[in-house]
Amino acid sequence: MEQRDIQSKKRYVVSFFVACLIFLIIFGVSYSLSYFELQRVSYLQDSSAYQIFEDKLIADFFNEDNCNLSLFSKISQDLNFHGRIMDDLEKKFGKGDKDILFRKNFYSLVEVEHFDFVNEFNLRCNASFIPLLFFYSNEPSKVEDSEFVGGLISSISSKNSKVMVYSFDINLESDIVKRLKLKYNITESPTVIVGNNLIFHPRNSDNIEKFIN
Amino acid sequence: MEFITLVIYLSMFIGIFALVFYVLSFIEGNKRKRLFYSDFELPKVSVIIPAYNEEETIERTLLSITKSDYPDFEVLVIDDGSKDRTLEIAKKFEGKYIRVFHKENGGKGTALNFGIKHAQGKIIFSMDADTTVAPQSMKNMVRYFKEQEVMSVTPAMVIDNPRSVLQRVQSIEYLAGLFLRKSFASLKSIYISPGAFSAYRKSFFDKYGSYDEKNITEDLEMALRIQSLNYVTENCPDAPAYTIAPSRFKELLIQRRRWYFGLIKNLLNYKKIISRKYGDLGSFVIPIAIVSVFFAIFITTYFFFKILFEVKKEILFLNGINFDFGNMVNFNFHIVERFLFQLFSNPVVLFVIFFMFVLIAYLRYALKKLDRSVKFILDVPLFLLFFSVLFSLWWIVSIVYSFFYQEIKWR
Repeated sequence: MEQRDIQSKKRYVVSFFVACLIFLIIFGVSYSLSYFELQRVSYLQDSSAYQIFEDKLIADFFNEDNCNLSLFSKISQDLNFHGRIMDDLEKKFGKGDKDILFRKNFYSLVEVEHFDFVNEFNLRCNASFIPLLFFYSNEPSKVEDSEFVGGLISSISSKNSKVMVYSFDINLESDIVKRLKLKYNITESPTVIVGNNLIFHPRNSDNIEKFIN
Repeated sequence: MEFITLVIYLSMFIGIFALVFYVLSFIEGNKRKRLFYSDFELPKVSVIIPAYNEEETIERTLLSITKSDYPDFEVLVIDDGSKDRTLEIAKKFEGKYIRVFHKENGGKGTALNFGIKHAQGKIIFSMDADTTVAPQSMKNMVRYFKEQEVMSVTPAMVIDNPRSVLQRVQSIEYLAGLFLRKSFASLKSIYISPGAFSAYRKSFFDKYGSYDEKNITEDLEMALRIQSLNYVTENCPDAPAYTIAPSRFKELLIQRRRWYFGLIKNLLNYKKIISRKYGDLGSFVIPIAIVSVFFAIFITTYFFFKILFEVKKEILFLNGINFDFGNMVNFNFHIVERFLFQLFSNPVVLFVIFFMFVLIAYLRYALKKLDRSVKFILDVPLFLLFFSVLFSLWWIVSIVYSFFYQEIKWR
């Protein structure tokens, strides 16, 4: 029997281009989903920011006491979600993406506003919210430790609805974050601030809870 | 981008490329006009059934072959020194066209060769003693021998009545294989013929020798021998043949170890066919299969250790929260949204979903050919969950054995 040739070189070429097309479509879908999520979270973030600024203005500028406790827990959860999803989007689009950078900066600003408002609210309405500042890092060498401490904090906040968590990316090029780091003497991550207590790399939830209780 | 991500994307691209190529080949193959024997041209057939300790299944096998609508065939049962009632049961069927032989135990290859020596047919079927076939299978397969370059024809091999999780996973594997086998046939690139039920032209044995009796996978060796001599193995998707799959992990591992060890040894012996001189088989089909195996082993091994590492992390975390399972997570709907986002925006997950749809298409083709309606929806997730891990494990074991052992036993 004679030796065989390839049946059709053209078929290999067509297969290659079709495979490239399918490959690009899949990446396109993945990118599109990330883009739509960014749009959605940006809208949610703006809504949360509006709510916070409005409440703060009513209290500070119009001197009206609005001691509605129920809103705080939801806003705290929303803010945490915004922070986590921004980190996910940062991984997808890259650290240098302008939209992500802007949103993370804006997020940090909104968080500080809310943190300040909660402290005022505690005084004005005799509430007992416990604001907790968490400085984390997404750097490859530090991200695991940060995720561990983030998990501890999540567990603590699920037990205690009075705990308000404010997370800041220690490496973010943001004036607000830099000032926070100076104010609280933050040099490393993961670091947790509860009241005047600084806890560096807590290994157990008890290390944090003793300052809450 | 991490190295493992690049490897996964590369393996996905190769998988898609191969898939598209096989689909296009399948379509082209269907357009090709083939010659088929008409009912009046069908030659005499000999069905050789080697049997060793098959008392539980031999009766069912013989009953199924006797129901065949083939006009002129004989059955030769070769009892290979069974220690149970195999011979006694087979003898009950002895008659005009069923002959039963007994010989000293020597292995499946020796039993097949014994049968070939006594066979009168021009076409030889090798059939396992636990296989059953549809009545039309033999006739549909033999039709392909009209083309003189065809030396072997393979059936639509499927699992009979899968029950356990392992059998259901194998069932999906076999059903998906029906489409691929037809694509390979279109490319004249079938290099594995199932020993459970395959047909051969007797003149091939006369000219090139019978089965290699020392080979642990004599059916694989035969298929590669046919390819190496530039003959053709065809596939008949309209010829269902049902085999029993191992239901226990150890049994399955032993079977696959034998198959893949045999494939490695036989490919090494026939490595000359991995070249452009052997057309699409040597240039693409076998190289892609080899590359796929290494990708599967690498990626599965990576994820196995990653999962172990994640479990360790999780235990350390649980220790950090004093094993307070009730408050592990601050559950809210944002967590669900974040989870769904992370899942569906990951290209790898989208690739898996794509391949799942391809798998379902393969299965629908198979069930259409077999004229069966089976609810496989639950089996598909089982297959996706377990098959890649099992596949990698079988290959790792077989590769290790091939390095350290010259031969392995059947059972």
